[in-house]
Amino acid sequence: MKSVVSFVVCCLLVTAAYAGQTLAPVPGKVVAPDFTLQDTSGKKHTLSDYRGRPVIINFWTTWCPPCREELPSMNRAWHMIKEEGIAMLAINMGEDEDTIFIFSADYPTDFPVLMDRTGEVIEQWPVKGLPTTYVIAPDGTIAYRAIGSREWDAQELLDSVRALKTSHTH
Amino acid sequence: MVAFFTSKFLPMRIVSVLLFLLPMPCVAEVLRSANEENGLEKWHFIAGDIEIELVQRLPDQTRALFMNHAFSKEVIEQLAQSCMFQTIIRNSGKSSTGQAVAIDLTQWRMRHGDKMDSILLKEPLLASWSDDDADPAAKLVVRWGMFPTQQEYLPGDYNWGLTAYGIPPGSTFDLVVSWQEGPTQHSGEISGILCAPDVDKLK
Repeated sequence: MKSVVSFVVCCLLVTAAYAGQTLAPVPGKVVAPDFTLQDTSGKKHTLSDYRGRPVIINFWTTWCPPCREELPSMNRAWHMIKEEGIAMLAINMGEDEDTIFIFSADYPTDFPVLMDRTGEVIEQWPVKGLPTTYVIAPDGTIAYRAIGSREWDAQELLDSVRALKTSHTH
Repeated sequence: MVAFFTSKFLPMRIVSVLLFLLPMPCVAEVLRSANEENGLEKWHFIAGDIEIELVQRLPDQTRALFMNHAFSKEVIEQLAQSCMFQTIIRNSGKSSTGQAVAIDLTQWRMRHGDKMDSILLKEPLLASWSDDDADPAAKLVVRWGMFPTQQEYLPGDYNWGLTAYGIPPGSTFDLVVSWQEGPTQHSGEISGILCAPDVDKLK
């Protein structure tokens, strides 16, 4: 009986369609942990300074294959949204400027890459694996998260981010 | 039907209830393939929304990863000899249930020879090293490079990382994987997984 039920359930699941590019909503209006980090050109960025606009925050390293996979689409997305009042920050975990500089020859990024050299910032966030990306609402709360890479220039993803601009306007 | 609920059928009722409380072995498909370029093998387990991929890593690949960081030679060799796999776990969201899938690697079991054991987790590894074995920055590579011990995946989520099995290169083992999908605990088995041999033993 149990195996029959199991078989039927699994068959139904297997025949269904794949999920598309999705962002998981984060319930509970959790305020994003603030941080101040330096980017690869020496400029300091404080998350709370970005209050008032959506911020995409991507945690990554150069040795993480899916991180490398999604960086080109993040860069394309950045060029699509940078004039729309949406910020994008990549936080590299544990590596130095030289490593990131060499890596950027193959994977150029035009948005700020911040360095969390000691891993102190990432430990304050609910990150379990890399890459993990959060979308912060204009009020500073975590609106969405994505575990694993995404095609960030997909319209459905960017529309979710764009919608935060109007949904948080009072 | 009424008879089923009478005391005569009480043992059967109890067994039925117990069966439904136990982890359900889901009908799973395991695909084994080899990379045409490098010969490394992959096991791809698919059951409902859960997909688990294990890709062989040569001990030399593991050495190369960790030699770029401040690990002692002994620790690098310990990791290289621990049968590591590049591992991908995914909630494909193929069903329309939208259920989260929760993974707890402490529940996974491996059968090697006649022994049933837990897999090697990052927490005891990290705890076993002094700062001479691995400096804090190097430990971050293991902390974030090895697979999270517990993680929840919503539809579309997936994660990559290393899993380790603590047996010599070239060994074979069976892996009993388990996961929770919504309220239901599932389990499945990937048989005959082969740890990549060390380079000098490659044909």
